[in-house]
Amino acid sequence: MASHGVARTTGPRTEERRKQDLQKIDKYRALEDGIREEVSNKTYSPKTFQLTTKLLELNPEYYTIWNARRRCLTSGLLSRPSASSSRSRGLSSGSPTNTSSTSYADALSSSSAATTPLDPAPRTTGRSGTTADEAAEDKKYSNEKENLEKDVGFLKEELVWTARLLKGFPKCYWIWNYRLWLLGEATKRFPVPTSRRIWENELALVSQMLTKDNRNFHAWGYRRFVVGALEREELGGKSMAESEFEYTTKMIHWSLSNFSAWHNRSKLIPRLLGERGADDKKRQKFLDAELDLVREALNVGPEDQSLWYYHQFLILNLINDVKQATIVPNITVEQKSEYVQREIDDIKDFLEDYDDIKWIYEALLEYTLALAKLESREATTSEKEDLKTWLTKLRELDPMRKGRWDDVEKEYGLN
Amino acid sequence: MMTEQLPDEMELATAAHVKYIQSLDTKKDEYDYWLTEHLRLNGLYWGLTGLHLMGHEDALPRPETVDFVLSCQHENGGFGAAPGHDAHMLYTVSAVQILVMVDALDELETRGPGKAKVGQFISSLQNPSTGIFAGDEWGEEDTRFLYGALNALSLLGMTSLVNIDKAVEYVVACGNFDGGYGVRPGAESHAGQILTCVTSLAIAGRLDLVDIDKLGRWLSERQLPCGGLNGRPEKREDVCYSWWVLASIEIIGRTHWIDKEKLVHFILECQDTESGGLSDRPNNMVDVWHTCFGIAGLSLLNYPGLAPVDPVYFRYALPVPTMTQMGLDIFAVSETPVKPGPRVEYVFLRCINSPVSSEWKE
Repeated sequence: MASHGVARTTGPRTEERRKQDLQKIDKYRALEDGIREEVSNKTYSPKTFQLTTKLLELNPEYYTIWNARRRCLTSGLLSRPSASSSRSRGLSSGSPTNTSSTSYADALSSSSAATTPLDPAPRTTGRSGTTADEAAEDKKYSNEKENLEKDVGFLKEELVWTARLLKGFPKCYWIWNYRLWLLGEATKRFPVPTSRRIWENELALVSQMLTKDNRNFHAWGYRRFVVGALEREELGGKSMAESEFEYTTKMIHWSLSNFSAWHNRSKLIPRLLGERGADDKKRQKFLDAELDLVREALNVGPEDQSLWYYHQFLILNLINDVKQATIVPNITVEQKSEYVQREIDDIKDFLEDYDDIKWIYEALLEYTLALAKLESREATTSEKEDLKTWLTKLRELDPMRKGRWDDVEKEYGLN
Repeated sequence: MMTEQLPDEMELATAAHVKYIQSLDTKKDEYDYWLTEHLRLNGLYWGLTGLHLMGHEDALPRPETVDFVLSCQHENGGFGAAPGHDAHMLYTVSAVQILVMVDALDELETRGPGKAKVGQFISSLQNPSTGIFAGDEWGEEDTRFLYGALNALSLLGMTSLVNIDKAVEYVVACGNFDGGYGVRPGAESHAGQILTCVTSLAIAGRLDLVDIDKLGRWLSERQLPCGGLNGRPEKREDVCYSWWVLASIEIIGRTHWIDKEKLVHFILECQDTESGGLSDRPNNMVDVWHTCFGIAGLSLLNYPGLAPVDPVYFRYALPVPTMTQMGLDIFAVSETPVKPGPRVEYVFLRCINSPVSSEWKE
């Protein structure tokens, strides 16, 4: 119903095509009817599960069928953890009224108490005295172990199957959602090392997806979620800010226009510096390196918006216009002015090679105004002359945003 | 708007589009009709909105529309995409929007489990600790659902059922340095998500939290030389962003920062003037989603002959009597730019309502 990038076809369908369609519809609807019948009887059996596989391979957007599949898993295909097991916490009830407690994040944190039982369930040794009791305990234990292995195998198969589906439908929300739900189930049910390995494989998968489409925002969002999970203590994790920062460097070097990577970098930096315990000197050095990186990139591709946005992020961060933790919290206003002035000078140098790139003039305009504001003064006469020249260039190079240039002119008295 | 300068093929082919929307439910011999059943209620909403904006609100029969909507409702108050589909926020919001549009909200009481149940379904999906909303019992959280919830609850007059302050806090946490908003805290700015966040803040009466100049700049940079808008930097244009970007920039009063005529031209280029409907880009396959958002964009751009549309609720502006009946203020498209400050309040004095897309792919 929402077609993107599909060429328009003209003329009516051929009779042959119509017949093909009717055949497909029959097959599809028969499958759908089959599932609906099972679901209306609340039969979440292996047979129902198989039917959902078939239907979802034809149409992975059918969210109700994903829900039926989840119910198959929680209604018997996965073992029902015993009441004593720490793994039983937080199972989806399937009741709509309980919604708010079953978010993915909650699913993960609700397992926090279940730290690393390598055994499927802790054995209550020493409590029971009789041999018969011990035999029963042993049997229960071995059953649980067997169930656990079965469950792990089952969930892994589910992950392999949905990964295959994702390759055909990389932007289907419901597949990504279902995977996250599977991961939540794994975290609730399995010992930490097992869950962790599953989450680690997920990171590998998402990297692979991002190699195919480096701007897929589902994949980037999913990546942040997976990393967030892997960092959690209950999964035996620690901060991955360094390795994720390196990942953005890699993605940026691969394609400078990848704003998704630059964005992620901007989010990682405050944490990264905090975790490094960077002192003021190190922080300044870091800022210098980032400015060098983006300036060099701009020198090659000054028409690239992504680079200018990142440059803007650094400058805004510097002059303390961002609410998040800043890169260099302790530098003086004089130092800030020096930084901004140096950037303005360097950007002016770009004009020697490129005099028809609007971004250059926009940056000069913005940073010059920011500098005056930073120094709590009006723009100087010579600055005003520059501003007027740049504004004239902007009107010439970017007439589509004329209304904006009018507003700037009025606001700063540049007429 | 210099429409008289547009060549013939550059006019809105209203008759063709009306016919196209009317034909949508007659395509049961096409495989795609069945593959898209999970969007049926949204599709009805998109189609009806397009028809209302084009002044053909009677082109789909009202009784069947109401019957179909009610046939999608579950006992818990929520609605699915079609009969037999599970209840979800996306369809519940569409259901409420449709019933309001055809003035049939009362039928929830007389023929369904009641308005209160609908409100309860929606409010039960708020995460009390973070303020965000889930789509359904399985827990996917997204600012699309937060916006949908506030939109529908406000149409139902039931916003007191949820914690608005917490919801606002969550939206603010989704903000980025570029003035935009992402799907979750930490996520990249995206025009679709910006609309859900800005409209949510508008409904909550907290547009003062938006960095209007920064966001206005970012949004205005979405316009490409072809006149069309993209959803993120360095991406391609797409007609549906004529809604996400345009409605957002309209709400913050910066529509004059883009070239409206070029955008009108681009949207009109995406029409199939013979068979009706609009597509994402010129000469691509049409669908009801792009048809609706293209027409809504044209309405925001004051294209002649179209009814005005409310950028916050994504609904056509109701005729005066109905609005008065509902006790809501009337919306008139403002030609003059809205400056930040007290005047931006105009958007949420009106009845509040929204698009709730089911997805964006760019």
